[in-house]
Amino acid sequence: MQDDHRLSTSDLEKKYGTSIDKGLSSARAAEILARDGPNCLTPPKATPEIVKFLKQMIGGFSILLWIGAGFSWISFGIQLAQGVDSAFDNLYLGVVLALVVILTGIFAYYQEAKSTNIMASFSKMIPQQALVLRDAEKKELPADQLVVGDIVEIKGGDRIPADIRLIFTQGCKVDNSSLTGESEPQSRSCDFTHENPLETKNIAFYSTTCVEGTATGIVINTGDRTIIGRIASLASGVGNEKTPIAIEIEHFVYLVAGVAISIGVLFFIISVSMRYKILDSIIFLIGIIVANVPEGLLATVTVSLSLTAKRMAKKNCLVKNLEAVETLGSTSIICSDKTGTLTQNRMTVAHLWFDNQIYSADTSEDQTTQPFDQSSATWTALSKIVTLCNRAEFRPGQENLPIMKRVVVGDASETALLKFSEVILGDVMSIRAQNKKVAEIPFNSTNKFQLSIHETDDPQDKRFLLVMKGAPERILERCSTIMINGKEEPLDSEKAEAFQTAYMELGGMGERVLGFCHLYLPENEFPDTFQFDTDSMNFPTSNLCFVGLLSMIDPPRSTVPDAVSKCRSAGIKVIMVTGDHPITAKAIAKSVGIISATSETVEDIAKRLNIPVEQVNRREATAAVVNGMELKDMSSEQLDEILLNHSEIVFARTSPQQKLIIVEGCQRQGAVVAVTGDGVNDSPALKKADIGIAMGIAGSDAAKNAADMVLLDDNFASIVTGVEEGRLIFDNLKKTIAYTLTKNIAELCPFLIYIIASIPMPIGTITILFIDLGTDIIPSVALAYEKAESDIMNRRPRNKRKDRLVNEQLAIYSYLQIGIMQSVGAFVTYFTVYAEQGFLPLTLLGVRVNWESNAINDFEDSYGQQWTKYQRTYLQWTGYTAFFVSITIQQVADLIIRKTRRNSIFRQGLFRNKVIWVGIFSQIGIALILTYGLGHVTALNFTPLRFQYWFVAVPFAILIWVYDEIRKLLIRRYPGSWWDKNMYY
Amino acid sequence: MLSLPVGHEEKVQDPDREKDEPKANMGSKSWAELAGEMKIFLWNPEERTCLGRTAKSWGLILLFYFIFYTCLAGMFAFCLYAMLLTLSPYTPRFRDRVSPPGVMIRPYLNGFTIAFNVSQPSTWQPYVDSMHHFLAAYDDKVQEEKNIECVPGQYFIQGGYDSVEKKACQFKRSLLQNCSGIEDPTFGFSKGQPCILLKMNRIIGYRPGAGAPVSVDCKVQKGNESHLRSVDFYPGNGTFDLMYYPYYGKFTHVNYTSPLVAMHFTDVQRNHLVPIQCRLNGKGIINDLNSDRFLGRIIFTLSIGK
Repeated sequence: MQDDHRLSTSDLEKKYGTSIDKGLSSARAAEILARDGPNCLTPPKATPEIVKFLKQMIGGFSILLWIGAGFSWISFGIQLAQGVDSAFDNLYLGVVLALVVILTGIFAYYQEAKSTNIMASFSKMIPQQALVLRDAEKKELPADQLVVGDIVEIKGGDRIPADIRLIFTQGCKVDNSSLTGESEPQSRSCDFTHENPLETKNIAFYSTTCVEGTATGIVINTGDRTIIGRIASLASGVGNEKTPIAIEIEHFVYLVAGVAISIGVLFFIISVSMRYKILDSIIFLIGIIVANVPEGLLATVTVSLSLTAKRMAKKNCLVKNLEAVETLGSTSIICSDKTGTLTQNRMTVAHLWFDNQIYSADTSEDQTTQPFDQSSATWTALSKIVTLCNRAEFRPGQENLPIMKRVVVGDASETALLKFSEVILGDVMSIRAQNKKVAEIPFNSTNKFQLSIHETDDPQDKRFLLVMKGAPERILERCSTIMINGKEEPLDSEKAEAFQTAYMELGGMGERVLGFCHLYLPENEFPDTFQFDTDSMNFPTSNLCFVGLLSMIDPPRSTVPDAVSKCRSAGIKVIMVTGDHPITAKAIAKSVGIISATSETVEDIAKRLNIPVEQVNRREATAAVVNGMELKDMSSEQLDEILLNHSEIVFARTSPQQKLIIVEGCQRQGAVVAVTGDGVNDSPALKKADIGIAMGIAGSDAAKNAADMVLLDDNFASIVTGVEEGRLIFDNLKKTIAYTLTKNIAELCPFLIYIIASIPMPIGTITILFIDLGTDIIPSVALAYEKAESDIMNRRPRNKRKDRLVNEQLAIYSYLQIGIMQSVGAFVTYFTVYAEQGFLPLTLLGVRVNWESNAINDFEDSYGQQWTKYQRTYLQWTGYTAFFVSITIQQVADLIIRKTRRNSIFRQGLFRNKVIWVGIFSQIGIALILTYGLGHVTALNFTPLRFQYWFVAVPFAILIWVYDEIRKLLIRRYPGSWWDKNMYY
Repeated sequence: MLSLPVGHEEKVQDPDREKDEPKANMGSKSWAELAGEMKIFLWNPEERTCLGRTAKSWGLILLFYFIFYTCLAGMFAFCLYAMLLTLSPYTPRFRDRVSPPGVMIRPYLNGFTIAFNVSQPSTWQPYVDSMHHFLAAYDDKVQEEKNIECVPGQYFIQGGYDSVEKKACQFKRSLLQNCSGIEDPTFGFSKGQPCILLKMNRIIGYRPGAGAPVSVDCKVQKGNESHLRSVDFYPGNGTFDLMYYPYYGKFTHVNYTSPLVAMHFTDVQRNHLVPIQCRLNGKGIINDLNSDRFLGRIIFTLSIGK
C-alpha cells in the first residue's frame, strides 16, 4: 500500500515532481500520460464475443429453425438410405435453414454490437471534466487526461476524477457509497488520521462523489491503479437487467413460437392420422415451423430501436440505455425543476415602471431591441442609473457574440441590467467611461442598496450625479421627489400609493423588483475636487429623486409553454418542483401553462370569495401550490390526496429530499414518473424515478450517473420530444410486427391446405425464406421511419401492465383477417396458374400422391394432356413463384395499411414517409430479380413468371386496403364500441 | 435472442427499483399458480367467461367471422368462376409447360426395372396381364367400331368449331405384329424376348416431327453395349405416324387412342441388369435434358433370368 497519506505536502511535491502553486508542466504531464496511460478503468471483461455470438445462434427463433434443420437432415439420412431420388432436397433445405440461422445470427450480433457502440458513444458525449492546475494555469481537462502529480480542484457535485491526496479542503464531504457502501457522506480534511489509506481522511477516491464543499489535491493514482480499479469484483459486478422492451419482445417470441409449435404438432398429428408417412409428416412440420417464424423480425426490431436512439440523440436526448426510450413513452407524470429546465436560467428584465406606467420588456432568448416606449425623459434618466449603478462587466473579447450570449462577471440581477442596457443603449462600457465613477458603495444585505457617484458626460455640467438602486421600499424611503415625464415632482401620498400599486403588481408576478433614484449634487457644495468618503458618507443619501422600478425574472424558455400543452393533451401531468419562492414559482407555472389560465388554487378562491382559506371546498381548486414547509408536516395520505385531487401542482421551497417524497407519492398513484434533476442531492430522486433525467449543462456528474437519460440542452421541451419518440417507437414496432405476422398466415395456409386437400404444394419452404428474409426486410425497417399518427400526443400514456406490444387484437387481426385475405388472394393466383396450364381447380384436389410420384410420367390433366414428373414439378415451381409474387403484391398493400392504426392513410399522407416507398420498390425489385433474374437457377425454385400473373392478386391487395380503411373509419366513428375493442390493435 | 444494452450498475443494486418492475418472466410463477390462472382463463365462474369472453361476446365474434369468411369465400369463388369463364373448355390457354412430349412405357408395374425369369411364369405373368389390359382398347374390333381409317403420312387436321366432336384414327393392335399379343399371348416374355410398348405423351394441338414422323431408337445406357444385340420396332420400323396427330383434347377427341411403338427385345444378355434408353427422334423433340429423364426418352432396366 502507498504511504502518500503520511507524507507532508512538500514531500509529496518532491515525490511527484510537481508544485502546488504551478502544477505540472504540460510536457511533463504528457510524458507521464504516455507512461501510465489514460486515467480510466479498463472495462470489465465483458462476455466473450464468441459467447455473445453463440447466444444469438441459439436464442429466440433460432432454436426452432435448428430443430427444422435437424429434422431435414434426419429425413435426408432416412431417404438416402431408402434410395429416394428427392432425398437431397431435404439436405439442401437443412443447409438453407442452418444458413438462415447463422446469417440472421451474424446480423443480430452485428446489430447488437453496433447499438452497444452507439450507447457507448453517447456516454462519451458527456465526458467528465476536471479542473487541473498546469503550467500555473487552471484548465478544464477531460478527466482521462489526468496524470499522477496533477493538482486538481474539486467542488460539491463533482465526481472525484482520480485517487487524490487532499492538500486543501473547505467543508468537503464525499459520498463513498460506491466504494465502501457507507451511505453517510464522509467528511474530508488534509489531516493524516489513520494508518490505513482507506480510512484516512486526507485521501479521496476515484469514482466517489464530492457532495459538498471544495478541495484541492494531488493526484496519486490514476486509471487501473486507483483503489476502485484494483477492486476487480466491483468492475465485474455489473448485472444484466431485462429492459421492458426486451420483455415485450420475449413475450412476442413465446407467443409466435407457441403458435408455431402448436400448429406444427397439431398438423403432425392430423397428417399422421391421415396416413401420411411419418417422414412426410416431419417434412410438413418443418414447413409449418418455417412459415410461422418471422425470421427477419428480431434483427429489424434492433435496427429500429437503434434508429430511434440516434434520432433522439439528434434532438438532444441522450439515452443511456434503450430501456429509457420506451419507458419515456409511457411516462404519465413529469416532475420538472424550474430553473434552467422550464426557464432560461438567467435573470432578465421583464417590466419597467416609470411615469406612473408599467412597461413590458422582451424576455425572449434572442432579443436584439426592446419595443417599449423610450421617448420619455424619465427613461433617459432611468437608463443612466441602470447603466452607471452597476458593477457587472462583460468579459473582454466577446464583441462578435450576440449580447444575450456574452459572459458577464457579476451577479444575476446586475447581469440582467447590464445586458438590458447594452441592448437598448449600445456600448455600456464607453458610457461608463464617459461618466467616470468617483465613489461607490456596493450592495450589502444591511443597507439593501447600491450607490455610486459619477462625473457627468456633459463637460459643461460640473455637477456630480449620485445614482442608487436597491429594494424599492428602501429606495422610496430616501426620496422626497419623483420624476414624472422628466420633471421632478414632490412625492405626495397619491404618488406613493401609485408606487405601492405598481410594486405589488410586479411583485405579484413573481418578479424581483428594484427601485432606482438619483440626485444631481449641487455644484457649490460638491466642487469637482470634492473627496467623497464612502465610510463617513459625506454626501446626501436622502431626499433623492425617485425615477422608476425595474423588475426581473428568470423567464420561461420560449418552447416550454408549447411543450407543456403537448404534455397536457398527451395525458401527462407536469408537476413543478422548485426551491424558489411560491409566488415566483406560481408566476412561472402560470406563464408556461403548468397552471392554466382559468384554474385557481385554494388561496385564489378564498381571495375571490373573500372567505377564509379553511372554508374553501378543496375539490373546487384544480391547481395547488404546495410550500415545502407544508409538505414537511404532511402525512403520505395527505400528499396522496393533493396529488390525486389537483391536476395542476407546483411544489415550491422544496428541498431535494422532498423531491424523493414527491416521486414516491406519484408512484403510489401508479404513475410512471420522469424526474429532472441536476444537483448531487437529486440523485436519490433520479434513481427512484422510473426515468431519471439529468441536465447536460447544469447537471453534476452525480446526477448524470444516476439518470437514465441526459438532456443535452437542459430544455424541458426535449423531454416532450423524447416522450413522443418513445411512444412513436412503440407504435412503430407494433406496426412492424403486425406487418411481419400477416404474411405468416399466407405462408402457413398453403401447408395446411396441402395436407388436408392433397393439392400440389402451393409454396416451397425456400420460397418462404425468400419472403421473410428477402422482400420483407426493408419494408419492415421502413415502418420505423413512419411519422407519428396525429393523435400520438393526444392519447393517455400506455399502461405498462395492460398495453402489450403484441396484444390479442394485433395477432388476431393480422392472422385471422388480413392474413387470410392474403392467403385467399394468393390461392386465386395459384389456381389461375394451374388452370391456364390445364389443371382446373377441382382436378387438383386429392392428386398429391400421384402428382409427386416420380414414376408417373404420363399424368393426365383436365384436358387429357399428359405430363412428365419434371414438367409437373416445373409447373409447381411456377405455382410457388406465383404464390410468392401474390404475397409480395399483397404485402405492399399490407405495408401501406400498417402506416396507421387509427387514422386514414390519406390523412397520414401516402408520400410523407419516403422510406416506405424505398421499401415498396425494394420489395418489388427483389421479387423481379428472383423471378426473372434467378428464375433459371433450379435450386431456388423460381421460374420466370408470365407478366399477367403479377396482377391476379391486385384486387385482393385493393380489398385489403379498402377493408382496413373501413376498419379505421369505424374505429374513429364509434370509439369504445364492440368494433373498436376488437379491431384496434 | 436479442438483448438490448442494459442499465448501469446502480439499478441492480437498488432493491426498491427491482420491486417496481413488472416481472414478465415466465419462470417466476409456480406451476400451481399457472394452472390456477389457466383454469380461470378457461372458465371464469364469476364473470361467466370462457377463454376470456362471455357467451354474448363469443356469439358476436363468431358471427363476425362467419360473415367475414363467407364474404371471403364468396369472393374467392367469384374470382375463380370469373377466371374459369375466360378459359376454353377444350384447349388450355398455355401449353408451354407440357411440350415437347414426355415418354412412357408399358407394361408399368412398380418402376422402371422389368425383371423376370423365363422359367418361372409367375415372375412375368403380371407384365403380360398388364399388357393385355392396356391393349384392350386397341383391339381391332373396338378400333373399327369407334374410329375411322385415316390417310397415313399426313396430319389429320380437323377444322370446325372447337366444340365439334373430333374423329379419331384407328390404331389397331394387330399393327404391333409380334408384339400385338395375338399370336403370342405372352408378348415374348415366355421366350425371354419381351415386348415393351412405348407411348408419347398427349399434347393438345401438338404436331410431332413437324411433317416427318418421329422415330424411336434404343441403346444401352452407360454399360456394355454388347448386352443389347437386337431390337425390332413395330409398326413401321418404330415410327409414330403423322395421321394420329394433332390431338384435340379429351372432351372432343373422345375415342382418341395414343399411337404406340412396340419394341421387341429379341436378343438381350441374360442374367444381367441391362439399362436401356429409348429415345424419340424428330424435329422439335428434346431428348437430352438432364433434369427431365422422361422428356423425349425413357430409361428402364431389363433383367431377364433363366
